[in-house]
Amino acid sequence: MKKLKKIGPSTVFSYVFLTVLAIVCVFPLLWLLVSAFKSSNEMLANPTAFLPKDWTWENFKTVLFTLKFTVNIKNSVIVALWTTVIATFISCLAAYGIIRFFPKLGNIMTRILITTYMFPSIMLVIPYAVVMKTLGLTNTRVGLVLVYMSFSVPYAVWMLVGFFKTVPIGIEEAARIDGANRLMVFTKIVLPLVRPGIVSTAIYVFINAWNEFLYALLLVSSSDKTTLSVAVKTLEGADILNWGSMMAASAIVVLPSIFFFCLIQNKLAGGLADGAVK
Amino acid sequence: MKQPDRLSGRTYRTRRIDVTRWIFVAPAMAVVICLLIYPLCSTVLYSFTNKTMIKDTFKIVGLKNYIDILKDESFYKAFGNTLKWTVGSVLGQVLVGFTGAICLNQVKNAWAKSTFRILCIIPWAFPAIATAMVWKWILNGIYGFLPTMLVDLGITEQMLQFFSDKNLVMPTLMGINIWFGAPLIMVNVYAALQTIPQDQYEAAQIDGASKFQSFRHITVPHIRTVVGLLIVLRTVWVFNNFDIIYMITGGGPAGASTTMPIFIYDTGWTGRLVGKASAASIMLLIFLVILTVLYFKVINHWEKEDR
Repeated sequence: MKKLKKIGPSTVFSYVFLTVLAIVCVFPLLWLLVSAFKSSNEMLANPTAFLPKDWTWENFKTVLFTLKFTVNIKNSVIVALWTTVIATFISCLAAYGIIRFFPKLGNIMTRILITTYMFPSIMLVIPYAVVMKTLGLTNTRVGLVLVYMSFSVPYAVWMLVGFFKTVPIGIEEAARIDGANRLMVFTKIVLPLVRPGIVSTAIYVFINAWNEFLYALLLVSSSDKTTLSVAVKTLEGADILNWGSMMAASAIVVLPSIFFFCLIQNKLAGGLADGAVK
Repeated sequence: MKQPDRLSGRTYRTRRIDVTRWIFVAPAMAVVICLLIYPLCSTVLYSFTNKTMIKDTFKIVGLKNYIDILKDESFYKAFGNTLKWTVGSVLGQVLVGFTGAICLNQVKNAWAKSTFRILCIIPWAFPAIATAMVWKWILNGIYGFLPTMLVDLGITEQMLQFFSDKNLVMPTLMGINIWFGAPLIMVNVYAALQTIPQDQYEAAQIDGASKFQSFRHITVPHIRTVVGLLIVLRTVWVFNNFDIIYMITGGGPAGASTTMPIFIYDTGWTGRLVGKASAASIMLLIFLVILTVLYFKVINHWEKEDR
Protein backbone atom coordinates (compact mmCIF):
# COMPACT_ATOMS: atom_id res chain seq x y z
CA MET A 1 0.00 0.00 0.00
CA LYS A 2 2.69 2.42 1.08
CA LYS A 3 4.85 1.39 -1.86
CA LEU A 4 2.01 1.90 -4.31
CA LYS A 5 1.46 5.42 -3.08
CA LYS A 6 5.13 6.23 -3.41
CA ILE A 7 5.52 5.18 -7.03
CA GLY A 8 2.06 6.45 -7.97
CA PRO A 9 2.39 9.86 -9.65
CA SER A 10 5.57 9.27 -11.61
CA THR A 11 4.32 5.92 -12.91
CA VAL A 12 1.04 7.48 -13.98
CA PHE A 13 2.89 10.29 -15.74
CA SER A 14 5.14 7.73 -17.45
CA TYR A 15 2.21 5.76 -18.78
CA VAL A 16 0.43 8.87 -20.01
CA PHE A 17 3.56 10.28 -21.67
CA LEU A 18 4.47 6.99 -23.32
CA THR A 19 0.91 6.42 -24.53
CA VAL A 20 0.82 9.83 -26.18
CA LEU A 21 4.29 9.29 -27.61
CA ALA A 22 3.34 5.87 -28.94
CA ILE A 23 0.23 7.25 -30.63
CA VAL A 24 2.21 10.05 -32.28
CA CYS A 25 4.85 7.55 -33.36
CA VAL A 26 2.45 5.03 -34.83
CA PHE A 27 -0.21 7.29 -36.31
CA PRO A 28 1.68 8.18 -39.53
CA LEU A 29 2.26 4.51 -40.29
CA LEU A 30 -1.39 3.65 -39.76
CA TRP A 31 -2.56 6.66 -41.73
CA LEU A 32 -0.23 5.73 -44.57
CA LEU A 33 -1.62 2.19 -44.64
CA VAL A 34 -5.30 3.07 -44.47
CA SER A 35 -4.88 5.81 -47.06
CA ALA A 36 -3.30 3.33 -49.44
CA PHE A 37 -6.53 1.31 -49.37
CA LYS A 38 -8.92 4.21 -49.92
CA SER A 39 -10.33 5.24 -53.28
CA SER A 40 -9.45 8.79 -54.28
CA ASN A 41 -13.11 9.91 -54.08
CA GLU A 42 -13.37 8.72 -50.54
CA MET A 43 -10.13 10.41 -49.51
CA LEU A 44 -11.19 13.78 -50.83
CA ALA A 45 -14.78 13.53 -49.61
CA ASN A 46 -13.92 12.73 -46.04
CA PRO A 47 -10.35 13.68 -45.14
CA THR A 48 -10.54 12.77 -41.46
CA ALA A 49 -12.32 9.40 -41.61
CA PHE A 50 -9.91 6.78 -40.41
CA LEU A 51 -10.88 3.43 -41.92
CA PRO A 52 -11.80 3.15 -45.61
CA LYS A 53 -15.46 2.36 -46.32
CA ASP A 54 -14.51 0.15 -49.24
CA TRP A 55 -11.08 -1.38 -49.10
CA THR A 56 -9.51 -1.28 -52.53
CA TRP A 57 -6.31 -2.64 -54.06
CA GLU A 58 -6.63 -0.12 -56.90
CA ASN A 59 -3.80 2.12 -55.65
CA PHE A 60 -1.37 -0.77 -55.40
CA LYS A 61 -2.32 -1.96 -58.88
CA THR A 62 -1.76 1.52 -60.32
CA VAL A 63 1.63 1.83 -58.66
CA LEU A 64 2.90 -1.63 -59.46
CA PHE A 65 1.65 -2.08 -62.99
CA THR A 66 0.67 1.27 -64.55
CA LEU A 67 3.63 3.09 -63.04
CA LYS A 68 5.96 0.07 -63.39
CA PHE A 69 7.14 0.06 -59.80
CA THR A 70 8.03 -3.60 -60.14
CA VAL A 71 11.14 -2.48 -62.05
CA ASN A 72 12.16 -0.10 -59.27
CA ILE A 73 11.54 -2.71 -56.62
CA LYS A 74 13.84 -5.05 -58.50
CA ASN A 75 16.51 -2.34 -58.74
CA SER A 76 16.28 -1.55 -55.05
CA VAL A 77 16.53 -5.21 -54.09
CA ILE A 78 19.54 -5.79 -56.36
CA VAL A 79 21.41 -2.71 -55.19
CA ALA A 80 20.63 -3.25 -51.50
CA LEU A 81 21.51 -6.96 -51.60
CA TRP A 82 24.85 -6.48 -53.34
CA THR A 83 25.71 -3.62 -51.02
CA THR A 84 24.90 -5.81 -48.05
CA VAL A 85 26.93 -8.79 -49.23
CA ILE A 86 30.03 -6.83 -50.24
CA ALA A 87 29.99 -4.39 -47.33
CA THR A 88 29.46 -7.12 -44.75
CA PHE A 89 32.28 -9.20 -46.20
CA ILE A 90 34.75 -6.30 -46.25
CA SER A 91 33.70 -5.16 -42.80
CA CYS A 92 33.98 -8.59 -41.17
CA LEU A 93 37.56 -8.88 -42.35
CA ALA A 94 38.36 -5.36 -41.21
CA ALA A 95 36.67 -5.61 -37.82
CA TYR A 96 38.47 -8.87 -37.03
CA GLY A 97 41.74 -7.47 -38.35
CA ILE A 98 41.46 -4.41 -36.16
CA ILE A 99 40.62 -6.38 -33.02
CA ARG A 100 43.30 -9.06 -33.42
CA PHE A 101 46.18 -7.47 -35.30
CA PHE A 102 45.84 -3.74 -34.72
CA PRO A 103 44.40 -3.46 -31.21
CA LYS A 104 46.00 -0.08 -30.68
CA LEU A 105 44.26 1.23 -33.77
CA GLY A 106 40.86 0.80 -32.12
CA ASN A 107 40.61 4.29 -30.69
CA ILE A 108 42.11 5.96 -33.74
CA MET A 109 39.62 4.04 -35.84
CA THR A 110 36.68 5.39 -33.83
CA ARG A 111 37.97 8.90 -34.49
CA ILE A 112 38.38 8.25 -38.20
CA LEU A 113 34.86 6.87 -38.41
CA ILE A 114 33.40 9.87 -36.62
CA THR A 115 35.36 12.12 -38.95
CA THR A 116 34.11 10.40 -42.09
CA TYR A 117 30.61 10.48 -40.63
CA MET A 118 30.89 14.26 -40.78
CA PHE A 119 31.44 14.35 -44.53
CA PRO A 120 28.20 15.69 -46.00
CA SER A 121 26.92 13.32 -48.68
CA ILE A 122 26.09 16.36 -50.78
CA MET A 123 29.84 17.12 -50.74
CA LEU A 124 30.89 13.59 -51.67
CA VAL A 125 28.42 13.26 -54.49
CA ILE A 126 30.12 15.83 -56.73
CA PRO A 127 33.47 13.97 -56.94
CA TYR A 128 31.55 10.69 -57.25
CA ALA A 129 29.68 12.06 -60.25
CA VAL A 130 32.93 13.17 -61.87
CA VAL A 131 34.69 9.84 -61.30
CA MET A 132 31.65 7.82 -62.37
CA LYS A 133 31.53 9.73 -65.62
CA THR A 134 35.22 8.99 -66.27
CA LEU A 135 34.75 5.31 -65.48
CA GLY A 136 31.53 5.08 -67.46
CA LEU A 137 29.58 4.03 -64.37
CA THR A 138 27.05 6.86 -64.41
CA ASN A 139 23.52 5.55 -64.52
CA THR A 140 24.49 2.00 -63.54
CA ARG A 141 23.59 -0.12 -60.55
CA VAL A 142 27.24 -1.17 -60.19
CA GLY A 143 28.20 2.45 -59.68
CA LEU A 144 25.52 2.85 -57.05
CA VAL A 145 26.67 -0.23 -55.13
CA LEU A 146 30.24 1.07 -55.17
CA VAL A 147 29.17 4.45 -53.83
CA TYR A 148 27.03 2.83 -51.13
CA MET A 149 30.21 1.30 -49.65
CA SER A 150 31.12 4.82 -48.52
CA PHE A 151 28.50 4.85 -45.78
CA SER A 152 27.98 1.09 -45.29
CA VAL A 153 31.53 -0.03 -44.59
CA PRO A 154 32.51 2.49 -41.88
CA TYR A 155 29.28 1.91 -40.02
CA ALA A 156 29.40 -1.88 -40.36
CA VAL A 157 33.01 -1.99 -39.17
CA TRP A 158 32.04 0.06 -36.16
CA MET A 159 29.16 -2.26 -35.30
CA LEU A 160 31.14 -5.43 -35.94
CA VAL A 161 34.12 -4.38 -33.83
CA GLY A 162 31.74 -4.43 -30.88
CA PHE A 163 30.67 -8.00 -31.72
CA PHE A 164 34.14 -9.38 -32.51
CA LYS A 165 35.43 -8.05 -29.19
CA THR A 166 33.32 -10.67 -27.45
CA VAL A 167 35.25 -13.62 -28.94
CA PRO A 168 37.76 -14.81 -26.33
CA ILE A 169 41.27 -14.98 -27.71
CA GLY A 170 41.84 -18.24 -25.81
CA ILE A 171 39.63 -20.20 -28.20
CA GLU A 172 41.61 -18.96 -31.15
CA GLU A 173 44.94 -19.80 -29.53
CA ALA A 174 43.74 -23.31 -28.77
CA ALA A 175 42.83 -23.80 -32.43
CA ARG A 176 46.16 -22.39 -33.53
CA ILE A 177 47.97 -24.89 -31.34
CA ASP A 178 45.92 -27.62 -32.98
CA GLY A 179 47.39 -26.53 -36.27
CA ALA A 180 44.74 -24.28 -37.78
CA ASN A 181 46.01 -21.31 -39.74
CA ARG A 182 44.82 -17.72 -39.34
CA LEU A 183 42.27 -17.93 -42.10
CA MET A 184 40.82 -21.21 -40.81
CA VAL A 185 40.56 -19.78 -37.32
CA PHE A 186 38.71 -16.83 -38.75
CA THR A 187 36.26 -18.74 -40.95
CA LYS A 188 35.72 -21.86 -38.86
CA ILE A 189 35.78 -20.49 -35.32
CA VAL A 190 35.39 -16.74 -35.12
CA LEU A 191 32.72 -16.18 -37.77
CA PRO A 192 30.25 -18.78 -36.43
CA LEU A 193 30.61 -17.30 -32.95
CA VAL A 194 29.68 -13.80 -34.06
CA ARG A 195 27.06 -14.88 -36.57
CA PRO A 196 24.14 -13.17 -34.78
CA GLY A 197 26.10 -9.93 -34.74
CA ILE A 198 26.97 -10.26 -38.40
CA VAL A 199 23.35 -10.92 -39.31
CA SER A 200 22.13 -7.79 -37.52
CA THR A 201 24.88 -5.71 -39.07
CA ALA A 202 23.98 -7.03 -42.51
CA ILE A 203 20.32 -6.20 -41.93
CA TYR A 204 21.25 -2.70 -40.85
CA VAL A 205 23.36 -2.21 -43.97
CA PHE A 206 20.47 -3.51 -46.07
CA ILE A 207 18.00 -1.07 -44.50
CA ASN A 208 20.31 1.87 -45.11
CA ALA A 209 20.96 0.91 -48.71
CA TRP A 210 17.24 0.31 -49.27
CA ASN A 211 16.41 3.75 -47.85
CA GLU A 212 19.20 5.72 -49.55
CA PHE A 213 18.01 8.64 -51.63
CA LEU A 214 20.56 11.31 -52.51
CA TYR A 215 23.09 9.21 -54.44
CA ALA A 216 20.38 7.33 -56.28
CA LEU A 217 18.75 10.63 -57.22
CA LEU A 218 21.90 12.27 -58.53
CA LEU A 219 23.92 9.39 -59.96
CA VAL A 220 21.20 7.42 -61.72
CA SER A 221 18.97 9.23 -64.17
CA SER A 222 17.04 6.74 -66.25
CA SER A 223 13.81 5.56 -64.68
CA ASP A 224 14.43 1.87 -65.46
CA LYS A 225 17.62 1.89 -63.37
CA THR A 226 16.50 3.98 -60.46
CA THR A 227 15.61 2.77 -56.99
CA LEU A 228 12.30 2.89 -55.14
CA SER A 229 12.92 6.01 -53.07
CA VAL A 230 13.68 8.10 -56.13
CA ALA A 231 10.79 6.56 -58.04
CA VAL A 232 8.40 7.58 -55.26
CA LYS A 233 9.77 11.11 -55.36
CA THR A 234 9.32 11.35 -59.13
CA LEU A 235 5.72 10.16 -58.72
CA GLU A 236 5.01 13.61 -57.36
CA GLY A 237 5.45 15.09 -60.80
CA ALA A 238 3.24 12.53 -62.51
CA ASP A 239 -0.14 13.61 -63.82
CA ILE A 240 -1.99 10.62 -62.52
CA LEU A 241 -0.81 11.27 -59.00
CA ASN A 242 -3.32 10.86 -56.29
CA TRP A 243 -2.43 10.59 -52.66
CA GLY A 244 -3.74 7.05 -52.46
CA SER A 245 -1.19 5.83 -55.00
CA MET A 246 1.47 7.87 -53.27
CA MET A 247 0.68 6.17 -49.96
CA ALA A 248 0.62 2.76 -51.64
CA ALA A 249 4.06 3.46 -53.09
CA SER A 250 5.31 4.65 -49.70
CA ALA A 251 3.91 1.52 -48.08
CA ILE A 252 5.98 -0.57 -50.46
CA VAL A 253 9.12 1.27 -49.31
CA VAL A 254 8.35 1.43 -45.62
CA LEU A 255 7.11 -2.09 -44.87
CA PRO A 256 10.31 -4.02 -45.64
CA SER A 257 12.27 -1.44 -43.70
CA ILE A 258 10.05 -1.79 -40.64
CA PHE A 259 10.07 -5.57 -40.89
CA PHE A 260 13.86 -5.79 -40.88
CA PHE A 261 14.13 -3.10 -38.25
CA CYS A 262 11.95 -5.06 -35.86
CA LEU A 263 14.19 -8.09 -36.35
CA ILE A 264 17.24 -6.24 -35.09
CA GLN A 265 15.77 -3.65 -32.75
CA ASN A 266 17.18 -5.37 -29.67
CA LYS A 267 20.70 -5.31 -31.08
CA LEU A 268 20.60 -1.63 -31.93
CA ALA A 269 20.17 -0.50 -28.38
CA GLY A 270 23.34 -0.21 -26.42
CA GLY A 271 25.54 -0.68 -29.46
CA LEU A 272 26.42 2.94 -29.16
CA ALA A 273 27.31 2.64 -25.52
CA ASP A 274 29.64 -0.34 -26.06
CA GLY A 275 31.15 0.54 -29.38
CA ALA A 276 31.91 4.19 -29.12
CA VAL A 277 32.68 5.04 -25.55
CA LYS A 278 35.99 3.24 -25.25
CA MET B 1 66.41 -27.64 -26.44
CA LYS B 2 65.50 -26.89 -30.02
CA GLN B 3 66.46 -23.26 -29.79
CA PRO B 4 67.37 -22.57 -33.45
CA ASP B 5 64.24 -24.25 -34.79
CA ARG B 6 61.95 -22.28 -32.57
CA LEU B 7 63.70 -19.06 -33.42
CA SER B 8 63.49 -19.55 -37.14
CA GLY B 9 59.95 -20.78 -36.77
CA ARG B 10 59.04 -17.61 -34.98
CA THR B 11 60.55 -15.26 -37.51
CA TYR B 12 58.88 -17.15 -40.29
CA ARG B 13 55.55 -16.89 -38.60
CA THR B 14 55.80 -13.21 -37.74
CA ARG B 15 56.60 -12.40 -41.31
CA ARG B 16 53.59 -14.33 -42.58
CA ILE B 17 51.23 -12.79 -40.04
CA ASP B 18 52.48 -9.39 -41.10
CA VAL B 19 51.12 -10.02 -44.58
CA THR B 20 47.84 -11.67 -43.57
CA ARG B 21 46.96 -8.96 -41.09
CA TRP B 22 47.13 -6.38 -43.84
CA ILE B 23 44.98 -8.54 -46.10
CA PHE B 24 42.24 -8.34 -43.46
CA VAL B 25 42.10 -4.56 -43.33
CA ALA B 26 43.11 -3.72 -46.91
CA PRO B 27 39.64 -3.76 -48.56
CA ALA B 28 38.15 -1.52 -45.88
CA MET B 29 41.12 0.81 -46.17
CA ALA B 30 40.62 0.94 -49.93
CA VAL B 31 37.00 1.96 -49.35
CA VAL B 32 37.99 4.70 -46.93
CA ILE B 33 40.73 6.00 -49.22
CA CYS B 34 38.86 5.81 -52.54
CA LEU B 35 35.39 6.76 -51.38
CA LEU B 36 36.07 9.17 -48.54
CA ILE B 37 39.58 10.60 -48.56
CA TYR B 38 39.96 10.97 -52.31
CA PRO B 39 36.60 12.78 -52.76
CA LEU B 40 37.47 15.08 -49.88
CA CYS B 41 40.77 15.98 -51.54
CA SER B 42 39.17 16.57 -54.90
CA THR B 43 36.47 18.74 -53.31
CA VAL B 44 39.20 20.85 -51.72
CA LEU B 45 40.87 21.10 -55.14
CA TYR B 46 37.63 21.97 -56.97
CA SER B 47 36.87 24.66 -54.42
CA PHE B 48 39.83 26.64 -55.76
CA THR B 49 38.80 26.25 -59.41
CA ASN B 50 36.07 27.43 -61.75
CA LYS B 51 34.95 23.88 -62.53
CA THR B 52 31.39 23.40 -63.78
CA MET B 53 29.26 20.32 -64.40
CA ILE B 54 29.27 20.92 -68.14
CA LYS B 55 32.97 21.25 -69.05
CA ASP B 56 35.79 18.90 -68.08
CA THR B 57 38.45 21.61 -68.18
CA PHE B 58 38.90 24.12 -65.42
CA LYS B 59 41.49 26.50 -64.08
CA ILE B 60 42.59 27.63 -60.67
CA VAL B 61 40.86 30.78 -59.50
CA GLY B 62 42.27 30.98 -55.98
CA LEU B 63 39.90 32.08 -53.26
CA LYS B 64 37.32 33.52 -55.65
CA ASN B 65 34.66 30.89 -54.83
CA TYR B 66 35.02 31.47 -51.11
CA ILE B 67 34.80 35.23 -51.56
CA ASP B 68 31.75 34.84 -53.82
CA ILE B 69 30.02 32.75 -51.19
CA LEU B 70 30.81 35.16 -48.39
CA LYS B 71 29.27 37.93 -50.50
CA ASP B 72 26.20 35.84 -51.31
CA GLU B 73 23.22 36.79 -49.20
CA SER B 74 21.48 33.48 -49.74
CA PHE B 75 24.48 31.74 -48.14
CA TYR B 76 23.90 33.58 -44.86
CA LYS B 77 20.22 32.78 -45.01
CA ALA B 78 20.95 29.11 -45.64
CA PHE B 79 23.48 29.05 -42.84
CA GLY B 80 21.02 30.67 -40.44
CA ASN B 81 18.36 28.17 -41.46
CA THR B 82 20.77 25.30 -40.89
CA LEU B 83 21.52 26.52 -37.38
CA LYS B 84 17.82 26.86 -36.59
CA TRP B 85 17.05 23.46 -38.09
CA THR B 86 19.90 21.76 -36.23
CA VAL B 87 19.45 23.35 -32.82
CA GLY B 88 15.66 23.01 -32.91
CA SER B 89 15.66 19.42 -34.11
CA VAL B 90 18.42 18.14 -31.84
CA LEU B 91 17.07 19.85 -28.73
CA GLY B 92 13.60 18.53 -29.45
CA GLN B 93 14.85 15.02 -30.15
CA VAL B 94 16.90 14.93 -26.97
CA LEU B 95 14.10 16.36 -24.85
CA VAL B 96 11.45 13.95 -26.14
CA GLY B 97 13.80 10.97 -26.34
CA PHE B 98 15.26 11.55 -22.90
CA THR B 99 11.85 11.96 -21.26
CA GLY B 100 10.67 8.87 -23.09
CA ALA B 101 13.63 6.86 -21.80
CA ILE B 102 13.12 7.98 -18.20
CA CYS B 103 9.42 7.13 -18.44
CA LEU B 104 10.15 3.76 -20.01
CA ASN B 105 12.48 3.06 -17.11
CA GLN B 106 9.64 3.75 -14.68
CA VAL B 107 7.34 1.23 -16.34
CA LYS B 108 7.72 -2.03 -14.45
CA ASN B 109 5.28 -4.20 -16.37
CA ALA B 110 7.38 -6.16 -18.87
CA TRP B 111 4.61 -6.46 -21.45
CA ALA B 112 3.82 -2.74 -21.38
CA LYS B 113 7.51 -1.94 -21.55
CA SER B 114 8.19 -3.90 -24.69
CA THR B 115 4.96 -2.74 -26.36
CA PHE B 116 5.82 0.92 -25.78
CA ARG B 117 9.34 0.28 -26.99
CA ILE B 118 8.30 -1.37 -30.23
CA LEU B 119 5.65 1.26 -30.97
CA CYS B 120 7.93 4.19 -30.24
CA ILE B 121 10.71 2.79 -32.38
CA ILE B 122 8.64 2.82 -35.57
CA PRO B 123 9.57 6.32 -36.81
CA TRP B 124 13.25 5.33 -36.69
CA ALA B 125 12.55 2.60 -39.24
CA PHE B 126 10.91 5.04 -41.65
CA PRO B 127 12.85 5.63 -44.86
CA ALA B 128 13.24 9.35 -45.51
CA ILE B 129 10.99 9.17 -48.56
CA ALA B 130 8.15 7.59 -46.61
CA THR B 131 8.59 10.10 -43.77
CA ALA B 132 8.38 12.94 -46.26
CA MET B 133 5.39 11.62 -48.16
CA VAL B 134 3.28 10.59 -45.20
CA TRP B 135 3.76 13.93 -43.44
CA LYS B 136 3.10 15.80 -46.65
CA TRP B 137 -0.19 13.96 -46.83
CA ILE B 138 -1.12 14.34 -43.16
CA LEU B 139 -0.35 18.07 -43.28
CA ASN B 140 -1.66 18.67 -46.82
CA GLY B 141 -3.23 22.11 -47.04
CA ILE B 142 -6.43 20.98 -48.76
CA TYR B 143 -7.21 17.40 -47.75
CA GLY B 144 -4.69 16.81 -44.98
CA PHE B 145 -5.82 15.05 -41.80
CA LEU B 146 -4.37 17.50 -39.29
CA PRO B 147 -5.40 20.84 -40.86
CA THR B 148 -8.92 19.48 -41.48
CA MET B 149 -9.08 18.17 -37.92
CA LEU B 150 -7.98 21.52 -36.51
CA VAL B 151 -10.71 23.31 -38.45
CA ASP B 152 -13.35 20.73 -37.50
CA LEU B 153 -12.47 21.08 -33.84
CA GLY B 154 -12.65 24.86 -34.12
CA ILE B 155 -9.02 25.37 -33.13
CA THR B 156 -8.11 27.21 -36.31
CA GLU B 157 -10.47 29.05 -38.62
CA GLN B 158 -8.66 28.29 -41.84
CA MET B 159 -6.74 25.31 -43.09
CA LEU B 160 -3.17 25.75 -41.93
CA GLN B 161 -0.64 25.77 -44.76
CA PHE B 162 2.21 24.02 -42.97
CA PHE B 163 4.58 23.91 -45.92
CA SER B 164 3.78 27.06 -47.87
CA ASP B 165 3.56 29.49 -44.97
CA LYS B 166 7.08 30.82 -44.53
CA ASN B 167 6.70 31.20 -40.77
CA LEU B 168 5.33 27.71 -40.28
CA VAL B 169 7.59 25.76 -42.58
CA MET B 170 10.73 25.53 -40.40
CA PRO B 171 8.92 24.58 -37.17
CA THR B 172 6.95 21.99 -39.13
CA LEU B 173 10.08 20.46 -40.62
CA MET B 174 11.73 20.42 -37.21
CA GLY B 175 8.68 18.72 -35.75
CA ILE B 176 8.89 16.01 -38.40
CA ASN B 177 12.58 15.60 -37.70
CA ILE B 178 11.92 15.31 -33.96
CA TRP B 179 9.33 12.64 -34.70
CA PHE B 180 11.89 10.78 -36.74
CA GLY B 181 14.89 11.17 -34.42
CA ALA B 182 13.54 10.97 -30.87
CA PRO B 183 13.23 7.13 -30.88
CA LEU B 184 16.96 6.68 -31.48
CA ILE B 185 17.75 8.88 -28.48
CA MET B 186 15.13 7.13 -26.38
CA VAL B 187 16.41 3.62 -27.08
CA ASN B 188 20.04 4.53 -26.49
CA VAL B 189 19.43 6.53 -23.34
CA TYR B 190 17.23 3.73 -22.04
CA ALA B 191 20.06 1.25 -22.68
CA ALA B 192 22.46 3.55 -20.84
CA LEU B 193 20.05 3.77 -17.89
CA GLN B 194 20.19 -0.01 -17.56
CA THR B 195 23.93 0.13 -16.89
CA ILE B 196 23.49 2.12 -13.68
CA PRO B 197 23.88 -0.18 -10.67
CA GLN B 198 20.57 -0.23 -8.81
CA ASP B 199 22.18 -0.39 -5.35
CA GLN B 200 23.44 3.16 -5.75
CA TYR B 201 19.85 4.39 -5.76
CA GLU B 202 19.03 2.24 -2.76
CA ALA B 203 22.03 3.60 -0.88
CA ALA B 204 21.02 7.16 -1.76
CA GLN B 205 17.50 6.51 -0.56
CA ILE B 206 18.75 5.22 2.76
CA ASP B 207 20.86 8.34 3.11
CA GLY B 208 17.69 10.36 2.63
CA ALA B 209 18.37 11.75 -0.84
CA SER B 210 15.38 13.10 -2.71
CA LYS B 211 14.37 11.74 -6.11
CA PHE B 212 15.76 14.83 -7.77
CA GLN B 213 19.04 14.53 -5.88
CA SER B 214 19.58 10.94 -6.90
CA PHE B 215 18.73 11.88 -10.48
CA ARG B 216 21.20 14.75 -10.38
CA HIS B 217 24.05 12.88 -8.67
CA ILE B 218 23.61 9.28 -9.84
CA THR B 219 21.67 9.22 -13.12
CA VAL B 220 23.18 12.25 -14.81
CA PRO B 221 26.87 11.41 -14.26
CA HIS B 222 26.30 7.85 -15.42
CA ILE B 223 24.63 8.59 -18.71
CA ARG B 224 25.97 11.98 -19.71
CA THR B 225 28.81 10.55 -21.83
CA VAL B 226 26.38 8.49 -23.88
CA VAL B 227 23.95 11.38 -24.15
CA GLY B 228 26.80 13.69 -25.15
CA LEU B 229 27.93 11.32 -27.84
CA LEU B 230 24.37 10.95 -29.09
CA ILE B 231 24.10 14.71 -29.31
CA VAL B 232 27.31 14.87 -31.36
CA LEU B 233 26.13 12.18 -33.77
CA ARG B 234 22.66 13.65 -34.10
CA THR B 235 24.01 17.17 -34.62
CA VAL B 236 26.26 16.02 -37.44
CA TRP B 237 23.46 13.99 -39.01
CA VAL B 238 20.84 16.73 -38.82
CA PHE B 239 23.30 19.38 -39.96
CA ASN B 240 24.11 17.43 -43.12
CA ASN B 241 20.63 16.14 -43.74
CA PHE B 242 19.46 16.75 -47.27
CA ASP B 243 16.72 14.19 -47.85
CA ILE B 244 13.91 15.30 -45.56
CA ILE B 245 13.90 18.99 -46.53
CA TYR B 246 14.57 18.34 -50.20
CA MET B 247 11.70 15.87 -50.45
CA ILE B 248 9.20 17.92 -48.49
CA THR B 249 9.76 21.52 -49.52
CA GLY B 250 12.83 21.53 -51.77
CA GLY B 251 13.99 24.54 -49.74
CA GLY B 252 10.88 26.64 -50.30
CA PRO B 253 8.80 28.69 -50.00
CA ALA B 254 11.18 31.34 -51.36
CA GLY B 255 14.20 29.87 -49.62
CA ALA B 256 12.52 29.87 -46.19
CA SER B 257 13.67 26.28 -45.57
CA THR B 258 16.88 26.26 -47.61
CA THR B 259 19.61 24.80 -45.44
CA MET B 260 23.28 24.43 -46.38
CA PRO B 261 22.98 21.01 -48.11
CA ILE B 262 20.08 22.36 -50.20
CA PHE B 263 22.10 25.51 -50.96
CA ILE B 264 25.02 23.33 -52.12
CA TYR B 265 22.67 21.23 -54.23
CA ASP B 266 21.14 24.33 -55.84
CA THR B 267 24.58 25.75 -56.57
CA GLY B 268 26.29 22.59 -57.77
CA TRP B 269 23.54 20.64 -59.51
CA THR B 270 20.90 23.14 -60.54
CA GLY B 271 23.38 25.98 -61.10
CA ARG B 272 26.15 23.61 -62.21
CA LEU B 273 28.82 25.65 -60.41
CA VAL B 274 30.93 22.81 -59.03
CA GLY B 275 33.70 25.13 -57.82
CA LYS B 276 31.39 27.28 -55.74
CA ALA B 277 29.43 24.29 -54.42
CA SER B 278 32.70 22.62 -53.37
CA ALA B 279 33.82 25.74 -51.54
CA ALA B 280 30.49 25.84 -49.70
CA SER B 281 30.84 22.13 -48.78
CA ILE B 282 34.31 22.70 -47.40
CA MET B 283 33.09 25.62 -45.29
CA LEU B 284 30.26 23.46 -43.99
CA LEU B 285 32.69 20.68 -43.13
CA ILE B 286 35.11 23.03 -41.37
CA PHE B 287 32.28 24.39 -39.24
CA LEU B 288 31.23 20.85 -38.33
CA VAL B 289 34.78 19.83 -37.45
CA ILE B 290 35.17 22.80 -35.12
CA LEU B 291 31.83 22.04 -33.51
CA THR B 292 32.66 18.36 -33.04
CA VAL B 293 36.07 19.14 -31.55
CA LEU B 294 34.39 21.42 -29.02
CA TYR B 295 31.82 18.75 -28.18
CA PHE B 296 34.54 16.16 -27.66
CA LYS B 297 36.46 18.53 -25.38
CA VAL B 298 33.41 18.60 -23.13
CA ILE B 299 32.83 14.84 -23.30
CA ASN B 300 36.48 14.05 -22.58
CA HIS B 301 36.33 16.41 -19.63
CA TRP B 302 33.33 14.46 -18.29
CA GLU B 303 35.10 11.17 -18.83
CA LYS B 304 38.09 12.39 -16.81
CA GLU B 305 35.78 13.52 -14.04
CA ASP B 306 34.12 10.13 -13.94
CA ARG B 307 37.42 8.37 -13.42
